[in-house]
Amino acid sequence: MTKLKTYLKHPFSFLMLILLVTAAVITVASIIFIIVYILEKGIPNITGELFSLHFNSKNQSMLPSIINTVSITFLTLLFAVPIGIFSAIYLVEYAKKGSKLVKVIRITTETLAGIPSIVFGLFGFLAFVITLGWNYSMISGVLTLTMMVLPTIIRTTEEALLAVPDSYREGSFGLGAGKLRTIFKIILPSAVPGILSGVILAIGRIVGETAALIYTAGTVADTATSLMDSARTLSVHLYCLLNEGLFTEQAYATAVILLLLVVGINALSNFVAKKIAKA
Amino acid sequence: MSKIKEKLMKIVFLLCACISIIAVVIICLFIFANGVPAVGKIGFFDFIFGTHWKPSSGEFGIFPMIVASIYVTAGAIIIGVPIGLLTAIFLAKYCPKRLYKVIKPLINLLASIPSIVYGFFCLVVVVPIIQELTNTSGKGILTASILLGIMILPTIINTAESSIRAVPDMYYEGALALGATKERSIFKTVIPAAKSGIMSGIILGIGRAIGETMAVVMIAGNTPIMPRGITSSVRTLTSNIVMEMAYSSGLHQKALIATAMVLFVLILIINICFSIIVRKKEK
Amino acid sequence: MKKLLCGILAGTVLALSFAGCGSSDSNKGTDNSGVTGEITVVSREDGSGTRSAFTELLGIIDDQENDATTETAEITNSTSVMITTVEGNKNAIGYVSLGSLSDTVKEVKVDGVEGTAENVKNGTYKISRPFNLAYFDGKLSKVAQDFVDFIMSSDGQEIVDKEGYISVEEGESYKSAGLSGKVTLAGSTSVAPLMNVIADEYKKLNPDVSVEIQESGSSAGIQSAMQKAVDIGMSSRELKDDEAKTLVTKQIAMDGIAVVINKENTIESLTSDQIKSIYLGETTTWEDVQ
Repeated sequence: MTKLKTYLKHPFSFLMLILLVTAAVITVASIIFIIVYILEKGIPNITGELFSLHFNSKNQSMLPSIINTVSITFLTLLFAVPIGIFSAIYLVEYAKKGSKLVKVIRITTETLAGIPSIVFGLFGFLAFVITLGWNYSMISGVLTLTMMVLPTIIRTTEEALLAVPDSYREGSFGLGAGKLRTIFKIILPSAVPGILSGVILAIGRIVGETAALIYTAGTVADTATSLMDSARTLSVHLYCLLNEGLFTEQAYATAVILLLLVVGINALSNFVAKKIAKA
Repeated sequence: MSKIKEKLMKIVFLLCACISIIAVVIICLFIFANGVPAVGKIGFFDFIFGTHWKPSSGEFGIFPMIVASIYVTAGAIIIGVPIGLLTAIFLAKYCPKRLYKVIKPLINLLASIPSIVYGFFCLVVVVPIIQELTNTSGKGILTASILLGIMILPTIINTAESSIRAVPDMYYEGALALGATKERSIFKTVIPAAKSGIMSGIILGIGRAIGETMAVVMIAGNTPIMPRGITSSVRTLTSNIVMEMAYSSGLHQKALIATAMVLFVLILIINICFSIIVRKKEK
Repeated sequence: MKKLLCGILAGTVLALSFAGCGSSDSNKGTDNSGVTGEITVVSREDGSGTRSAFTELLGIIDDQENDATTETAEITNSTSVMITTVEGNKNAIGYVSLGSLSDTVKEVKVDGVEGTAENVKNGTYKISRPFNLAYFDGKLSKVAQDFVDFIMSSDGQEIVDKEGYISVEEGESYKSAGLSGKVTLAGSTSVAPLMNVIADEYKKLNPDVSVEIQESGSSAGIQSAMQKAVDIGMSSRELKDDEAKTLVTKQIAMDGIAVVINKENTIESLTSDQIKSIYLGETTTWEDVQ
């Protein structure tokens, strides 16, 4: 209670404390409200036939879309994660501070991060779908998404690498390890939790993306079996269900599954992060 | 042998780092190659400063949408940044560990809720409330600002929190040792030190707000006229594209790509402004 | 101190979320005297098939025959947003495809005629539009041609009727030729739900054929067909002149457009002149309508 007294002496601090707590409450309350609302509306509408293997006009099954979402996410990360991590390694470990190239790279990543998904969608449509003639296909969608999530991964990896204390590097060099060895054996492992948080963000963005995908990966509701097949992800599925107003109940159910999928991915990444951190 | 490997990998790293440059360049190329001719055909001033958007009569003025995008984004920043920043401070400096373990995943979850879900949620929950309170149709700048303010929260919280945590504890402890209260030490020493990280979070937030499409298109009303007040129904640049792209053809379609181009340029300007601000302050 | 903070936070969060949930369930005060005040006009986006049919048939056009829908109208590109808006706003008026009509909003009679499939077919209900297929004449693959034949057959047209749309032809019954292959379609989001049903029936008769349906909008569908990216484009509007040069169209069904208002609104019927005047922005309040 002595703390309370000091607060009374410093009205500024007290006010700030109140504001801090209020802000946190608002944030958490709005999150909980949104989630509870979706669950309340969606759970009663989840039925077994929404998970049948094939989509047709009667059951609006979302299983194909779930499979598509997983494959698109996986493929996108396959491209984006190595490129993103390598870029960050270059920026942090190799580039001279203040060099022109670094400046340009930094500006372009920031620009890339700021480009709205709808612009990515239009670009993907013009470049991959029309110019390269890949039509609406997984590969068009995946490449578009790769560009979109790249800055997220670069930025978080960069921060994670910077957070690794220099003493680690010095220690490793002192023991005679080469730069490459130091990076892969010492720096990257200790930066893994940070990198993973970037990957989680990226996954979140991929799973939730609609605008960039309707004009690139298309809206065919069946499981895609090749890179050239059009594939509808769960968010796009939700968009299509909502669009014509015929399937609002199914849309709510889809939203719940989408949410669960995201929770699942987050939990899995956390689990993996802990495993790696321990190893 | 290992020298060659070192050299080779260095080149690989460099190439990867250059991919983002290449990406931006080709995106520019494609958008501009399709947008510029359309602007030329419509006329630069008629396009940017025209106040009427009637594709079926050949009028393509996007000024109301530029203004609307700016208003809505500003509204989102006014709502989202203070709440986000304060929440980040709370998480970094106040939050008990147990509570943190609950809140943090929730915030990450907020980041992963698809925008279309936000949009529909807002349409059935927030719109009626605003409708009742302001006695208008409930769709417009205010509603869109609230929605976007919530949507950019996770971006701002996450970046701000990590940059606050990155500030060495010495700063904070030093201030405490000098007798400052916890709040004063945070606001006078930690926050200024974390400023550039926080700024980049805000830039990201602005980017997300101005570029948000699927949610805004449901709740902004999409009227292509100059906003007349805080509850006025407006159409943003993004919703203009996504609404009409599917049914457009010919010049109309090119005009929509040109709209994307304007959006792109707008974002470039914002980024440049902010990097100038940040750099000046650092000096 | 920490525990106290923790407690306060948790408590407030709970209270707030319950309050939030509660308020969303509570009913707004209803008022039986009908509605008054400014009309919220809701329209579809420029270029949409529904909108162009609606404006043309009701004469919501200016001297140059261009769409003259009032600029203050709210615009949406989605039927469900249209319905939700009209459902939640007692001053709203909008229009949707008959096939998507739900009972959460109220359909008004136009010039005293109810918008039903029958009335569209016998010509008394005027606001309707075609569902078209667009493709290269004579260049369809064997399977695609067979699919089109199926749609136009009596079996195909029966599905059209069953789904609440209006059939256009009394064709002969369809016999499967046992073909195999793939048919790709792209286009209008309004046609797609119907096409999904037709495709399912078709696949039952022809298990070796796969049908891919892309919901990308009328224009995108027609473009894809012109670029030969798909076999058939689906369109809920008539083809434009430059499009009609390269592609032929086949009308597969008709779709009525229903004018909808909020359930609290007591109006039962509107004349087409009243609707026209509302959409032109000449009538702006419900008092003026009554």
